[in-house]
Amino acid sequence: MQKKLIVSAAPYLHNHAATTQRIMLSVVIALLPTAAAAVWFFGGNALMLIVVAVVSAVAAEYIWQKLTHKPVTVSDMSAVVTGLLLAFNLPANAPWWLAAVGSFLAIILIKQLFGGLGQNFMNPALAARAILMLSWTGLMAANVLPHAGQWAAPVALDAVSVATPLTHGATGFTLWQLFYGDVPGMIGETCKITLLLGGVFLLVFRVIDWRIPVSFIATVAVAYFIKTGTLYSMESGAQNVLYQLLSGGLIIGAVFMATDYVTSPITGIGKLIMGVGCGVLLFVIREFSSYPEGCSFAILFMNVLTPLIDRFTGSKPFGFEKQENPAKEAKA
Amino acid sequence: MSLYTRFPGGIHPHEGMNGKPVTAALPIEELRQPARVTIPLLQHIGAPAKALVKKGDSVKMGQKIGEAAGFVSAAVHSSVSGVVVDVQPCVLANGLQAECAIIDNDFKDEWVKRQPVKDPEKLDAKALSELAGEMGLVGLGGATFPYSVKLMPPRTKLDTLIVNGAECEPYLSADHQLMLSKAKEIVEGAKRMQVAFGIEKVYVGIEKNKPDAIELMTKLCEGDPSFIVAPVPVRYPQGGEKQLVYALTKRRVKTGGLPIDKGVLVVNVGSCYALYRAIYEGTPLIDRVVTVGGCVKRPANYLVRIGTPVQWLLDASEGLLPQARMMIYGGPMMGLAINRTDIPVTKGCSGITVLEKKLMPKPESSCIRCGRCITVCPMLLCPSDIDKAMRKSDFETAEKLGAMNCLECGACSWSCPAKRSLTQSCKTCKKVITEKRRQQRQREEAK
Amino acid sequence: MKKKKSMRSVFLNGIFGENPIFRMLLGMCPTLAVSTAVFQGIGMGLATTFVLVFSNLVIALLRNIIPDKVRIPAFIVVIATFVTIVDLMLKAFIPSLSQSLGIFIPLIVVNCIIFARAEAFASKNSVLLSVTDGLGMGLGFTVSITLLSACRELLGNGTLLGAQVMPETFQPMAIALRPPGGFIMLGILLLIINASSKAIVKRREAKAKEAEL
Repeated sequence: MQKKLIVSAAPYLHNHAATTQRIMLSVVIALLPTAAAAVWFFGGNALMLIVVAVVSAVAAEYIWQKLTHKPVTVSDMSAVVTGLLLAFNLPANAPWWLAAVGSFLAIILIKQLFGGLGQNFMNPALAARAILMLSWTGLMAANVLPHAGQWAAPVALDAVSVATPLTHGATGFTLWQLFYGDVPGMIGETCKITLLLGGVFLLVFRVIDWRIPVSFIATVAVAYFIKTGTLYSMESGAQNVLYQLLSGGLIIGAVFMATDYVTSPITGIGKLIMGVGCGVLLFVIREFSSYPEGCSFAILFMNVLTPLIDRFTGSKPFGFEKQENPAKEAKA
Repeated sequence: MSLYTRFPGGIHPHEGMNGKPVTAALPIEELRQPARVTIPLLQHIGAPAKALVKKGDSVKMGQKIGEAAGFVSAAVHSSVSGVVVDVQPCVLANGLQAECAIIDNDFKDEWVKRQPVKDPEKLDAKALSELAGEMGLVGLGGATFPYSVKLMPPRTKLDTLIVNGAECEPYLSADHQLMLSKAKEIVEGAKRMQVAFGIEKVYVGIEKNKPDAIELMTKLCEGDPSFIVAPVPVRYPQGGEKQLVYALTKRRVKTGGLPIDKGVLVVNVGSCYALYRAIYEGTPLIDRVVTVGGCVKRPANYLVRIGTPVQWLLDASEGLLPQARMMIYGGPMMGLAINRTDIPVTKGCSGITVLEKKLMPKPESSCIRCGRCITVCPMLLCPSDIDKAMRKSDFETAEKLGAMNCLECGACSWSCPAKRSLTQSCKTCKKVITEKRRQQRQREEAK
Repeated sequence: MKKKKSMRSVFLNGIFGENPIFRMLLGMCPTLAVSTAVFQGIGMGLATTFVLVFSNLVIALLRNIIPDKVRIPAFIVVIATFVTIVDLMLKAFIPSLSQSLGIFIPLIVVNCIIFARAEAFASKNSVLLSVTDGLGMGLGFTVSITLLSACRELLGNGTLLGAQVMPETFQPMAIALRPPGGFIMLGILLLIINASSKAIVKRREAKAKEAEL
């Protein structure tokens, strides 16, 4: 009869609905509509890229943890999220090995070498994308026109003849096309409908905080409103706020990348700073650099600043009063 | 409700099938006396009481067996009549040993001469504090702060009294049932304090999940405009002193300070009742209401003599259910896990909660910096950072992060997806920092 | 513990025990900057070795004459002399290498390795030992920088010493030739070397234990 009673530290109730695995799973669920959209617009090759990236990300984590005799934490799903996000950042005509190499870089170089889950100083998927961009610039060019609903991989078009929505002087896309996703781009960044749907899902289930996406997008909107003075326009090309918001990787970056727990500030004010910083940097890179798009670099830059932001935005304890009278304290 | 201000942080711990809903409906029953009680001389914060009895003495019910030793200390009284078997160290709930008087019960229930206060209406703060000291009153909400100190005439003028009937801790219903059965006495006890301190407003804070208690209290307070029954939303830790003060008065108790600094006195309903009995009956604190809940065959709210071993309560509740794997002295959020049943019930024990293994957390994993612990912390701390500092034994950083302000409410650990024991880290930091400060003070005194 | 240093141990110390790049992390500036091609790496390594050997030689010769207070300027004068010699010789005989190494040849003057060896070794040891030390250290540096530049050239260009090594289908990883690639590659090599040396030490200890039993 005498069973052993377990003695542990208080509290003895836990929120069993909140686990790392469930958080990651909900991010994966939020990303699935976008994955479907990517396959719809960019055909079988997009599906292949997603599968290769996810499988190799999980495999990389498993292999690394086996090799270094660490507990295998593949089941926490974080590698799946990384793989999915990385695949979304590849162009439709990318070869399979680009996805595999990217996943290995993301998991081993950026995540595991710095201590694994929770320790990486940059978003693994974005850092891997940056490495791929710098290494194989030609292969990473997002100059593929989508052809919705067809299986065959779309043909890569000459970079000169097909301009992505953000190439300077491009006007060939309507706002509806941008929103719906019928534009050239990385496979996961074009369809804004599914991305926003996923974002709403994550917000409703309180997986992500509203601060980073809202302040990020709002900052970009304000910056472009100051620059162009028009909120939206059906004719005047890229020079309006809505066009800029719906172009490039802003939405996927603001909803899924900048909100990565590990590499974004932990405090409320810090999150706002992160969002505003990302927005300003994005505007600067889009307008004043040789790159047409700078979402990933803006987020990576703010990732690196995160420890600093956290350090200066720590909250004061409840009831903290600045003017503490030392004489009174001594008496007490 | 305009009366209520939302305090920062907070959680809604779910209680499973045999939590509060079960015990809340069970009226208080008086528990049979055990044949032997073990009465610790340290049942409060501060210095242990000095034993007044020795082996072989016969004692009467309510006889003082331990005298307050020092300023922050409280007297201890015998809860039964009988013979002192021994005065020796015994293990208490926190796993440490403390001096205890072990008394064999003769079941005669012979009282010492009790002396009710002659003119209860004219009691002032000083007299109240002295009475509380004589009767061994301590805060019954769990902190067990001696009332002889709490009711001292304050330096600042008090204008608000809050009667704390929030009872936010899951599984426990002791205060709830006490409010239902002794409402009049609680109000009377509160009135004595109101008069003694010249307080204008008295709030009775009760969580909305106790509608019957709210109704009863409201009815009782109808005639007195200074008494306001304030239903507060169900949110853990609503019953925390600072949280309740902020929720009802919008005053923020200073870090490291007490509600008294802001002119507020917070008194638990159980303490109100004990004070009432001390004034009108001359009865010292020798029993209290204890909820036995969770995985026991017959959950109940018992009126228990101080010093009754836990086993006696479990026997009365017909033992544990087969799935029971954790026994908690107190509530499941702030209590202490115990692994033996000879531990006596003390003044601060509001419940014995038995939990099943299913409720145990998974093994901990890496912190993913999700920030949930920060969102739920009622003291606006950053538990994950304190935890990291603690793991590096960097207690200076922990102190800078405000670890000393931790309430130990457990909200951070509850909400952590990586199941890290954040609350425990904060507790460790508090202990180490307190010890360091003590050593430093000693060094300074030695100079 | 203070044993007389043998020539062999001093020489090997520079290559393994206190390898300037992988053990001491000295001379990072030229290491990261010029290790984009094996040819450049070897050239840089040999130039540094030359300066190391001769500056160690001269400083060891003068070690009892140089006053302690002005030893640093004195070292610099000696080192600068040999660096100038190397610079002019390269310009005269291998102008292509001189061109690709550019400013990093004159910068050998302020290379930590040379200065550290002058300060820590040559100014305290005999001439013969100092020359051996310079040779060992220089070789250690050369081997390391060649290894690093081989990795970078292979990944970033698919070639070794300019000759195509990787199959035609290989798409060069351009980042390996860029500054971040240098840091990443150095980090990875350090990881491999530290991990394997740890494993070797562990195995040796296990063997020693076995022998004891």
